[in-house]
Amino acid sequence: MKKLTWKDDLRPIPFLLAFFVAYVLFTIYPIFKGMQMSFFNWTLIEQQEFIGLTHYIDVLSDPNFWEAFGNTALFVLLSTPTMVVLALMLALMANLNTKLQTFFRGSFFIPSILSVSVISFVAIFMLQPYTGVVNNILQAVGFNSEPFWLATPSLAWVSIIAVTLWWTVGFNMILFLTALQGIPDDLYEAAEVDGATRQQMFWRITLPQLMPIGRLILLLQVLASFKVFAQILLITDGGPGTSTRPIILYIYEMGFQRYDLGYAAAMSYLLFMVLLVLSVIQLRLGGKEGRML
Amino acid sequence: MKHSRRWIVAVSVIVLLSGCARSVDTTADGRMKLDYWVFLSGGDLSYMEAIVDEYNSSQDDVYVDLILQDWDDYYTKVVTSVAADRGPDIGISHAASLPQLMNQGLLQPVEDMMLEAGLDFQLFPDNIRNAVEVEGELYAVPIDTHPFILYINNDLAEEAGLLDDEGRPTIEATPTGLMDYFAAAKETLPEKTPLAISTGGIDTYRWWWTVYFQMGGTPIFSDDLREPEITLDREIAIEAAEYIHDFFGDVIPMHIGDFYETFQAGNAVGMMTGVWATGIWESNDLNFTAMPLPQSFDVNAAQGDSHTLIVPIQEEQSTERKEAIAEFIAFVSDEGAEWAKAGHIPARSDVVESQAFQEQPFRSDYADVASKVVFTDNTIYQNPAETDMVRALDEIMSNRLTPEEGIDQMMKALAVTTRQ
Repeated sequence: MKKLTWKDDLRPIPFLLAFFVAYVLFTIYPIFKGMQMSFFNWTLIEQQEFIGLTHYIDVLSDPNFWEAFGNTALFVLLSTPTMVVLALMLALMANLNTKLQTFFRGSFFIPSILSVSVISFVAIFMLQPYTGVVNNILQAVGFNSEPFWLATPSLAWVSIIAVTLWWTVGFNMILFLTALQGIPDDLYEAAEVDGATRQQMFWRITLPQLMPIGRLILLLQVLASFKVFAQILLITDGGPGTSTRPIILYIYEMGFQRYDLGYAAAMSYLLFMVLLVLSVIQLRLGGKEGRML
Repeated sequence: MKHSRRWIVAVSVIVLLSGCARSVDTTADGRMKLDYWVFLSGGDLSYMEAIVDEYNSSQDDVYVDLILQDWDDYYTKVVTSVAADRGPDIGISHAASLPQLMNQGLLQPVEDMMLEAGLDFQLFPDNIRNAVEVEGELYAVPIDTHPFILYINNDLAEEAGLLDDEGRPTIEATPTGLMDYFAAAKETLPEKTPLAISTGGIDTYRWWWTVYFQMGGTPIFSDDLREPEITLDREIAIEAAEYIHDFFGDVIPMHIGDFYETFQAGNAVGMMTGVWATGIWESNDLNFTAMPLPQSFDVNAAQGDSHTLIVPIQEEQSTERKEAIAEFIAFVSDEGAEWAKAGHIPARSDVVESQAFQEQPFRSDYADVASKVVFTDNTIYQNPAETDMVRALDEIMSNRLTPEEGIDQMMKALAVTTRQ
């Protein structure tokens, strides 16, 4: 065995230490602290009482939990495919060799840099009945009705998904775009020599080359969609009624409005388990080569 | 040499860091600094700022630092900061939130310290003194009562012929009076919104609360702090919801985006909200009337709450600081007439009777509502329960549930909230 030397092996340690300490303190420690909390009656002032698995049993028989979970699952099912497919289409557009290339890249990505409060405020403003621009446009083109975008459960979902799509799709697009630019040109050149059509090139070269990044995007997107929270809090606050309340909002309500941190922690861990299982399944299915990228 | 310089750097970094960790108790010029947290917005904030400025320039020993916190998570911030021993010296709280804060162990009783500062709780009327009492102790100093009232745009009402000879709205104090009034407005002014209020949300809940108690409703919860029973009268709750539901889609447009704006722009004959809007309309030069909601049913009751000043617990607090805190609170209480400029009704009877308050327009018109306010019940579940009630009413008013189904859902949600 090679002897560890200061110069080659140990020197990075002091530099990594700072990050490592922060990582343990702010990531590893909270994970275990949270798990501990879920077994206790735990308020913010830490009046603690060990109650074992009671919170988990209560959560599983809590209709509000299942409703919120169902809402979240619905959001994931509806938003994820569009989020991935649309990102791919936008990336292909932004990768075209036209003078509009820079414009496309900029305009597709710009919404991602806005804060959630800004996009939510704009959405509320635009979707208002009577005065909002969306309804005014609809009426201008002949729709003789007044849709209540944020007050009808189905329309509220449409609104939230549309806003989220507009806001976050740019990030996925950038990932696809990077991968597109990483495809070696000689593949296309060879295909051209062989007389392949553009369509064939797309299906046989571009898409397969994009599969690894596509799988990564899908995984990240599912995780992100399951954690949907801020825009719903700000746009509908889970309403009308509780019809758009996602699981994280319910956790937030239990933890920070009812100060029942143990119950909130138990729900967080159930969600964590679901995400873990989904990630493992996706990793197994995705990489025959056993890797994501 | 090189070695010693490194030490100097290290030591000064440590000194700097420890300096940051300590919260600053004094200002640069040596005055005692008190942190005062508020959640006030727009209209209210400027009046409270004026009072604090007044206090800061009235003496040289204490400086009160007014810190504005976001309303949405105000109580969460108070609870977490006090838990971390970084809470404010003084904070604003609604009377309705006191039981929950007290139960979390965040509050100290204030009666004795306020007596020493010369403020006697006998100056407050019974209903408001009861509103700050939890398990036999007084946990806050109320500075106002803010009932839910009705605003009328005088110009529009006059155009529609809905003012009497003295320029007062002609609303009959009968079950149909309110509806008839705005139905008449709708007929004569079809282009305008007769009554502006949002279909769901807190203001509809406040209205429902008013009607429910005017109809003779029983308290929502029994008076047990931690294990309250639900004593809501289902039949009356349904009746009150039906009464309000009839307005929506008829004299109130469904789902108005911003009903304050609708009224402010002169597009609505009437609107309902808390008294704090009085200060807003005044600064907009709106020609309006502010009046109590008419007593349409048997009982003279109103919805309302109270802004109160609390003294969150701190691990170490010198007698000196405690005295300064009490003195500042007494000062704010004495300035009740100033605070009333925002639209509120002063909590203290002597301030209400004072010339400084009686001279202010509008407020004296609704000042006697304060004694009719039905405060929330003494339970730690009030805040989450309010969310439940708001949501259920939201479902009813937007026609997704019938009043019966909605109230049943409300009672079910309340049962879950109170763990029954």
